Formats: sequence, C-alpha cells, structure tokens
Amino acid sequence: MKDAATPGQMPLRPPGQVMRLARMGSMFPTRISFLRTLMRRLGAERAQVTCHRWQMCPEGFGHAVFRVDLGGHVYSLVAVSSDLPPEARTDRVIATAWDTAYVLYDGVPCEKEVARICAAAPLQEAARFTERDLVLSRANKSVRLFSHVTNSLRAGVQPDEALVRDIGYLMRTTAVYGNGKFGIADRACIDTRPGLEGPFMAEMLTVWLIRHFTHALAEHVGRGPLDRRIKRHLGIGNSTGLGMAPFLVTHPVLLNNWMMARETALARVRALPRLTVDEARRLHGLAQRAATHLAEWIVPDAAHQARIDALRRDWEQARAWLDPAHLRGDHPLDAAIRGTAQSSLDVQELMVALVIEPFGDLVDGLAECMADPFGPMVLPVQDAATLRRRIEAEFAWALDTDYERAEHARQFWYVSAAKQEPRLGDRFEEPGAERESPLDIARRIKALHGDLDAGDEPLPELLARVPDHALAVERVLMAARYPYAEIRDNLIAADCLPIDMLRCKLSFFGASKFDPKSDRWTRITLCQGAPLADELATRADDWWLPVYGG
Amino acid sequence: MTEWAALAAKAARGAGAPPAQAQAFGRAAAQHLAQGRAAEDLARALGALPGGPILSLPPALIAAQVDAGTGLQTTLAAPDGPALAQSYVEGLPWRVTVLRAEGGTLCFALDTGTPAPRATPARLTPPPALVKRMEALAERTFVPETDASRQRGAGAGLTDSD
Repeated sequence: MKDAATPGQMPLRPPGQVMRLARMGSMFPTRISFLRTLMRRLGAERAQVTCHRWQMCPEGFGHAVFRVDLGGHVYSLVAVSSDLPPEARTDRVIATAWDTAYVLYDGVPCEKEVARICAAAPLQEAARFTERDLVLSRANKSVRLFSHVTNSLRAGVQPDEALVRDIGYLMRTTAVYGNGKFGIADRACIDTRPGLEGPFMAEMLTVWLIRHFTHALAEHVGRGPLDRRIKRHLGIGNSTGLGMAPFLVTHPVLLNNWMMARETALARVRALPRLTVDEARRLHGLAQRAATHLAEWIVPDAAHQARIDALRRDWEQARAWLDPAHLRGDHPLDAAIRGTAQSSLDVQELMVALVIEPFGDLVDGLAECMADPFGPMVLPVQDAATLRRRIEAEFAWALDTDYERAEHARQFWYVSAAKQEPRLGDRFEEPGAERESPLDIARRIKALHGDLDAGDEPLPELLARVPDHALAVERVLMAARYPYAEIRDNLIAADCLPIDMLRCKLSFFGASKFDPKSDRWTRITLCQGAPLADELATRADDWWLPVYGG
Repeated sequence: MTEWAALAAKAARGAGAPPAQAQAFGRAAAQHLAQGRAAEDLARALGALPGGPILSLPPALIAAQVDAGTGLQTTLAAPDGPALAQSYVEGLPWRVTVLRAEGGTLCFALDTGTPAPRATPARLTPPPALVKRMEALAERTFVPETDASRQRGAGAGLTDSD
C-alpha cells in the first residue's frame, strides 16, 4: 500500500445492494481494474518492448517475438500468424483454427523453443505446453478493419477515422488461457513475481502485447506507419462466452476482494470533505469524456443500443452533479452518489467509476488487496443452531425462492464433454442435469436451512449425515469474513442473465465498449486508449473510458 | 487451483463426492504429490468413494479446527492413514505444525492467528496411471454434446466477422 495511514471513508455500500446481478451487469472499468494497474506498473518501471524476432512474409504470415522486462523478469510474446481460410474463421468455442496464436513465454525463447511454440500454439487446446509457457491465446482479425487499414496504408493514406472509431480493434482474442491449462505454468509459479502478483496480470500483459503485435502486423502488411492517434484507439477486441461466468461463483474470496477494493475506493472518495480546484476541474472533464465515450459506443444489437441511448440521455442530467457549482460543496462526491441513487443502474455505476478516477493516491494501493494468497480463512462454527442463525442473517435473499417451481430452476450449468467449457442448459428440455455444476448456491443454502433443526447438532455430525450440504456450509461460514463473496441472485432461474456476470468480470479486467451478442456472450474492447509501447513513460494512466483522439 | 488439483477435484466429483469435498480433495491431492507422498493414497481414496477419507476427512477436520480454536493441540482421526490427512491439514490457510502422525491419528497444532500463504509447489508430474484414472473419472462430470448445447449452450451466435 502506498498509504502510510488508512484514509477516512464513508460506510461501504451493503452487499445486498452491490451483489445483485443487474447491478453487476452495469459495471464500468475503474482505475483499479487490472489493465490499469498493469499499465501503471509498466509505466513506473519505464518498461521497454523490443522486437526480438520478425519473420513475416509480405502478406503478414509467419511469426514474431517481442520481449518486455517487468519486475526483474523478462517475458516474451511469441506471435504466430497463419493464412486462415475465411470459412474457418469463427469466434465460437467450437473453432479449431485462428488467424493468430500466441504464447507469453517466461524469458526469451531460443530457436528451438520458438519452433516448438510455432508448431503448438496454432493448435491451442489440442496441444500440450510447458511450464515456460505462461499464457496461451488466439485472435481473429476484424476482417473489415484489418483489410481497410492495410489497404489504406498501401495506398499511402491513413485509414478512415470513423471506421477505426466504430470498430476499435484490428483483432479480437477468443480465449486467453492461464493457470495450468493444457500444461502451461500454474499461477503458483509466477504469483509472487513483482508485477504479476495481482489477479490476471500475466493475461493482461499478454493482451497488451498482442495489441502491440496487431499494430506492427498491420504496418508490415500495409508497408507504412499508422498515425499514432489511430494506433492508440486500436485496442484489442475480445469475444467472451459463458466460459468465464462460473469463475465468479467458484472463486468467492477473489470476488469478495475485487468488490471490496472497489467499494472501499468509493467509500474513500465519498469521505472527501472538500475538493481542490484541480480535482473539480478534472472531474468535470471526466464527465464530458464519459459523455463522448457514450456517444462513440455504438453496437448492432437494438436492445443494447437502446440501453446505451438511455444512458446517454440520463447521463446528461446526472453529470450536473460534477459541475463546478456542485463540486464546491461539502462532501461533493458523496452528494453525487446520493444524488444519482434513484437513476438507472447504468448511471449509478458510471458515476461510481468516474468519481474514483482522479484519486489515485487514495485508491491505487487497494489493487494490492485484490489477490487471494491464502484461500478462505474461516473457522467452523460449533453447531447447527449457530449455522441457522447465520443463514437467516446473511442469506435471507436465498430463502425466499421456491426452487421447486420450474421457472426458478430451469437452467443448469454444466461442462461440455467436447470442449470442457462451461455451458448452460434447460433442465426440462435437455439431457445432462444429473451432471450439473454446483453453481446453484442459493438453492443449496435453502436446502441446508431446511435440514437444520433448532437443536445443537454438531457441525461434523451434520456433514456426516448429509455430506451434500458441505458446499452450502462453506459459503455460509465465509459470509462473515467475505461479505461480497456471493452473487445474491438465483443463478439457475429462467431469467438469470449470464451476460451480467461476464460484464462484472470484464469490467475488472478493464474492458469497455461492451457489445452483447446474446445473453450469453459479448464482444468487448481491451486496451483501447492504453499507452503504446513507447508512451509508457509519458501517458500510462489517463485512459479511463477512452475517446477517439483523446 | 493448479491443473492437477483441478483434475483431482473433478475426478473426485466424477467418482461421487459432493462438490465441496471434491474441491478439498483436489487441494489435498496437489499437496500430497508435492510432498512426495504416495500416489496410491490418492487412487485408494478415489476408489473408496462414496465412502472413505474424501468424505470422512472434511468433517473430522472441522471437528479438529473447532477444538484448535481454543488454542490447543488437536488430534485428527484418520482411520485410512495419516499421510493423506496430513496433506489436508497442510492445506489449511493458517500456520500448522504437525506433531505426530501415527496409526489412525494425526496430532497437530493450529495457529489461527497466523495466515499461511498457499504452498507454491514446483510443477507436479503425477504418475501416468493416476492421471489416466483421474481423467477417466473426471469425464463422468462432463455432459456429452448435443446440437442444442453446441448451438445454444455456449451462447455463441452466428456472427463471426465484423
């Protein structure tokens, strides 16, 4: 932590307010999102990215190696670009070939290692990797923009700015694997290294380097340099499906720590009694930037575009709380949060992310509290009666639902045999519910509650009697120490929208420009507006809600 | 969870363990292998489901922690042998001092005031026979693909280009 003393803070927003799916599905990135934290670290270290190897044909097929130093370690991105037939290009999890494939390598790979990775990386899940391979990824071109950019450069002109602004990336990743998948290094191998201690730091480093590679590839194929403003706006797209949704349920301590850090950041800025003139000016500027960002956020889906349009309109009213007159008052940021409490969830969460932004000295240290180095630190209770009291105090939201009704249990989460990826099925129309993944926390809590008598049955005896209650017991025991660990909604209900879980997690990554394609998958943009490799020393930390040309 | 811990957890689940016990077994299995303890202990525990240590150790560990909460040494009943029990105990998030492992018990001291970061074992290489066994059991947790799951279950649409 940077802070010598803990700053003052207002009370945290209660979990019952924060941990609802609809609100989680309205979240925006903040300055303690993982990409922002990584960029600050790279900037503080004046990190240099160098091209170690570039073997690419004029059409842009071949391989490249970029290296970067971080925290006293050297990492390399090995990028493999293949000539993919158009009919094989799909974002879907059933894909077996991609335009490009990547490995973040521990160190600088020798000739033999580069050859190994060039053979294995395009196969992705079908290959086996080594502990030197830290992250595995792949990306497909945005055919429309990549062709336009390279054709423009070849013609000696810069690409059309409107197209760059509307699409925002040259390629989009469809998976970024870490932590031991397919033989790559377990997170435990790197999670104490400076710069990689935080959640998903190796994955974020990979994504930022992939973005760097996409710029270099476009300039290589286009045989000319891209304008710096355009490059800065070209992030890296990402296509994300259900695969990442269960993570938030199966990692309750991490979820708690992420939410706790964000809520603590908010509570600290709300406690500021007065703002300086510079702080007020900055907040006012950010309010305008947010309005411009919303204006540039255009998606094909009519329903989601309508939601963005509504947010634009509502924001025009809400941003008045960040006008100089309001910001001169007492506790002006608390007033802004209170003043928008009746606005839409989108407005509320945009305001939360915004008011945190100017106050790095107050909140950046909280990023160090977002990992989970210990696992759940909870002690068991003595007996069933204590457990029952805790359920009634902390899990009333789970007890109200009748899970026997079809609409409250229609969906079931499972892992597919074909891809070993999480999926969601209809319990009453599809096979496989007997192999359901245990994301039905609310239903399990209610079942546990129903099996507890008012007596003092010791907990070990209860679990020996009904072993299936152990998961629910764990979650109840966690609640006291980890108040933000649980999504307070029924995740098997017919109306449960997994897209809300995706947006929550992706906002912690630092994603923007959410572009939902259904209630189960979305495209996003990462690193848009982020510093280019040669800008780390000068503008590493001012790219919240990027706008074109900003 | 590491790759092998996750596989062990899935194997336990596939063999019939409830989810929390399967996760606990996964963590303990990784610790067990990292400490060079016998892989046969893991295979035996999986084979004993729906009984055996994967079900009996978690409640016994809860009982032991309740005792240790008073600051005393505690004894964990481990009728299937103390080695796997020790791997479970070492996975607790607090400082643990194993005092004696004999017969069907494990005596240890638990300092719940001192958190212990997760062990970071070097890369594990489980015996191939155990891996094969675990993979076969893990497959029982997967749902075979259907047209519906392929088209809708993963949530992917049909828009692949932009």
